[in-house]
Amino acid sequence: MQRPRKQSIERTFALSIAGLILIFPANLMPLVGIKMLGGAKDGTLWSGVVALFEEHMWGVAILVFLSSILFPLLNIILSLLISAHLYFKKPHRHLAHWMRWLQHMDEWAMLEVYMLGIIVACVKLASTSELKFGFGLYAFVALLIITGMLASSLDKVLFWRKIGQLRK
Amino acid sequence: MISKKTALGQGFIRCHDCGCLSIKSEKNRLCPLCGGRLHPRLPNSFQRTVALLLSAFCLYIPANIFPIMTVTRLGVGEPHTIIGGIIALIHGNMVPIAMLVLVASILVPLLKLVGLGLLLLNVHYRWQAHAKKWTIMYRIIAFVGRWSMLDIFMISILVSLVDMGGVAQVIAGPAATAFAAVVVLTMFAAKSFDPRLIWDNQY
Repeated sequence: MQRPRKQSIERTFALSIAGLILIFPANLMPLVGIKMLGGAKDGTLWSGVVALFEEHMWGVAILVFLSSILFPLLNIILSLLISAHLYFKKPHRHLAHWMRWLQHMDEWAMLEVYMLGIIVACVKLASTSELKFGFGLYAFVALLIITGMLASSLDKVLFWRKIGQLRK
Repeated sequence: MISKKTALGQGFIRCHDCGCLSIKSEKNRLCPLCGGRLHPRLPNSFQRTVALLLSAFCLYIPANIFPIMTVTRLGVGEPHTIIGGIIALIHGNMVPIAMLVLVASILVPLLKLVGLGLLLLNVHYRWQAHAKKWTIMYRIIAFVGRWSMLDIFMISILVSLVDMGGVAQVIAGPAATAFAAVVVLTMFAAKSFDPRLIWDNQY
């Protein structure tokens, strides 16, 4: 059961803009750097996917790409599109489709699981090498908080009702 | 035979996507609110869940037997299985993290395989008792599924970070693909299972 939330459309609109801004540094800037036996390396969300792909683990690489990069991005873009249309009360014929996709995609955007993965990987590496946290990690944590707030501010019942009203 | 207590028993269909209730009839196949296709229950829910669950179960075995990654230090390769990685963490005095990995990559997939299996048995043999508890169990299974991806993400980070040529390197093993498939298949299985089937057999 869900209880109605205050200013759901406005908040979703604002949060998805913030998320869209944050997703770029979180994806492009290094999350963690490592210094080990004289060599140094930075890791980004993207480099993990590339490294898996180079080892011919394309199945895993695609899964990681979808759940850590593509679906979070689509999630934010769709929330932005839907809440913007509802905020400005502009009907759009794909509004219901977008909302349905958003609901199905919700489960597959796994940023918070990725965060735990980073923590476990860091703990494993901490004993043998020197770790450095990049700016990307701060952006990533901020993005995590934003997507969490986004999920809790989006009132599905209200959104569907408004979409239904716009269709008429 | 569908119980009179359910909405379907009283002639209503609930839309899967927007939750709008509409009256069951031959002509309205589309939801009046969102335009989605209406089904009284998820189509072929039981068969799909059985198929997905069986394939997940088959893949669960290689996922645990084969090495999930190989750590090479100064030219010497050392394969790790999922359990081996947890034991290594315990030996390194990192018990809380070891517990976390144990829960996420062994207990959760196992719980999902067994739990969904029990739910399917429940629906098939029409067990009468504790429908509420079964529904709660289904919710837990559906919620907890995504956390098993932890191991996969950890490997993706390790593979990209530890890549110093011959000095130190982490290579993902065949179990990673199998394990990822288990996670995805069980997530699809949980999604294709319709928890209302539990309630259809209650009188």
